[in-house]
Amino acid sequence: MRKYQVATAAVLIVIAAVAMFDTRSGAMPDTSGGAPGGLKGGWYPFWSSALAAVALAIIAYRATVTPQTGDVFSGREGVMSLLALLVPMIALVILMDRFLGFYIAGALYLAWFARVIGRYAWVWVAVSAIVIPVILYFSFESFFHVSLPKSIWFTQGLPF
Amino acid sequence: MEALGELARGFAVALDPFVMAMLTVGVLAGLIIGILPGLGGTSGVAILLPLSVFVAVTSKTAAIAMLAGIYWGAVFGGVVTSILFNIPGEPWSVALLFDGFPMAKRLGKPGLALTLAFTSSLFGAIVSSILFTFFALPLAELALRFGPAELFAVFMMAFATLVGLESGSPLKSIAMIGFGLLLAAVGFDSLTGEPRLTFGQIGLLSGIGFIPVTIGLFGLGEILASAEEAGVKYEQVAAKLGLQDLFDSIGELRRKAWMLVANTLIGFWIGVLPGTGATPASFLSYGIARQYAPDKEKANFGKGEPAGIFAPQASANAASVGSLLPMITLGVPGSPTAAVIMAGLFVWGLTPGPLLFTEQRDFVWGLIASIYIGNFMAFAICLLATPLLASIMRAPYSIITPFIILASIIGAYSVNNAMKDVFIVLIFGVIGYWLRKMKYPLAPFVVAIVLGDSTERELRKALIGSGGDPRVLIGINEFGFSPFAAILSAVAIALFLLPLVQYLLRRRSRGSAAATAGEPAG
Repeated sequence: MRKYQVATAAVLIVIAAVAMFDTRSGAMPDTSGGAPGGLKGGWYPFWSSALAAVALAIIAYRATVTPQTGDVFSGREGVMSLLALLVPMIALVILMDRFLGFYIAGALYLAWFARVIGRYAWVWVAVSAIVIPVILYFSFESFFHVSLPKSIWFTQGLPF
Repeated sequence: MEALGELARGFAVALDPFVMAMLTVGVLAGLIIGILPGLGGTSGVAILLPLSVFVAVTSKTAAIAMLAGIYWGAVFGGVVTSILFNIPGEPWSVALLFDGFPMAKRLGKPGLALTLAFTSSLFGAIVSSILFTFFALPLAELALRFGPAELFAVFMMAFATLVGLESGSPLKSIAMIGFGLLLAAVGFDSLTGEPRLTFGQIGLLSGIGFIPVTIGLFGLGEILASAEEAGVKYEQVAAKLGLQDLFDSIGELRRKAWMLVANTLIGFWIGVLPGTGATPASFLSYGIARQYAPDKEKANFGKGEPAGIFAPQASANAASVGSLLPMITLGVPGSPTAAVIMAGLFVWGLTPGPLLFTEQRDFVWGLIASIYIGNFMAFAICLLATPLLASIMRAPYSIITPFIILASIIGAYSVNNAMKDVFIVLIFGVIGYWLRKMKYPLAPFVVAIVLGDSTERELRKALIGSGGDPRVLIGINEFGFSPFAAILSAVAIALFLLPLVQYLLRRRSRGSAAATAGEPAG
């Protein structure tokens, strides 16, 4: 737990530091009268990230000196079920964006879930992977008039 | 009695068929979300936020009635899972596990446990709604007299509450507030027009949208966090509830009426406090119910004591209703869920705050009327259809989860037809998961994202008004003295320092204890 806490705080400090660097020109109140109210655009984000960075530095320090209890992950199985959820989701979004469009990628995603995680018979896998996308297709493309991303075959006449 | 006239007008607005239809959709969705473990009310509101954008095109009142309806539905729905399955459907139903499930299983009275929770929930909601109705106008009128310095102090008080009353780590709350404010600042500076934190990316000029961030942090983040616990076996008690249970519940509540009323008022107050909603209210009320129980009943707690069910539930629902009061009158969300609802108001083009009471009277009073109707609706559905609702728990994880994820993706994409927003959902989903793991509170984060722009605007407006003199923030201005700004900022500073004072006191008492034991104090 300890090293995760420190690493998390460190990563967040880096993000805050980048934001502070980017807005450093507005860090100090402008006394020349050029900025409205004496503050430039960078003042507020600079000090917001400075506040976060100071708090995180203390969090990281305290994480090293106080006892840390509890495990981060609930065993190997927990990590596996997390990855089983996360990896296909990333694949879904990339495939949907680049090649397959929402409906085909979504159907594959539903099928994968039903088969690999739910261990359903193939017939139920097919039902879930066809029925849900078809309902979504008609509700969004026809009823709500929301056009979701289409596959690379859309230009060749495929409707989705 | 102006409020009663306005309320009647609100009922006329809310009883419009479209508003009623959307309220029903919201309450039903909320009930389902409330019953499903691993998907909370805040997440439910976040996931359905995009749908509300489409509803708002027709009627903004219908859109807010729907979003708020999800909240009411989820407060009622969480009861079913806690009492019948011994797992919390919602974070605010955790307190119901202590006595709800024991009453259902050990004492064999699931019907009584459920009706007690439903009836007290309705009582809490209605009393809270009445307080809401009568406090709304005076608060809005007070807020209308606030200038930038006072409003800035109110926002500071909201952040200070999140820090001072945070039970875990106040430092983590501060860090989350900092990042929330930072995220809100990305894009054009609304005052000077200069781009901030865009790193040359044109896509970032318009800022990072509320909708994908909240869907990611709450919707996806929560699904990922609960994935590790998925597949846990749970016990189940069959739901049976009859009219007799309802009479028994009402009898029980009348016998302990003072406890019910006290906890409803406590819940309302916790809800009104910025950032704290139903979850802390229910825990606090459970503790109070146990502490102030007659001695002979104290031993019953944890074994199915009725007060252990109705006190937290009345308080939770009173808090959920109360949390919308500061949102609508001051523009400060009273709970994380209220913060997400408030993000919706911004997206529909409304500015939450006292001006709504003059410029959008139908909207405001329609919302207030819909709170009464929505809670009665949730109560009626729960009484009539609990066995049906409980069967939602049988819906397979491997069908529901991918469906919710697809729905989140559609929602994020459809608002701007942009894949960018889908990637933001994914990124913030992972961030939300990890922050939960590391015990960083998400409530300050989302409140800061939603309040970030307004806080900065009021701060700079105050400074422009004073010619850059920061003393305006503590109430000293060229016209003399503003007691509101002074009092509010004093309270904010005190709340900010509260954790530090507590820490130092703890250290001192520990130090002196160690010293008396003859050990070096450190």
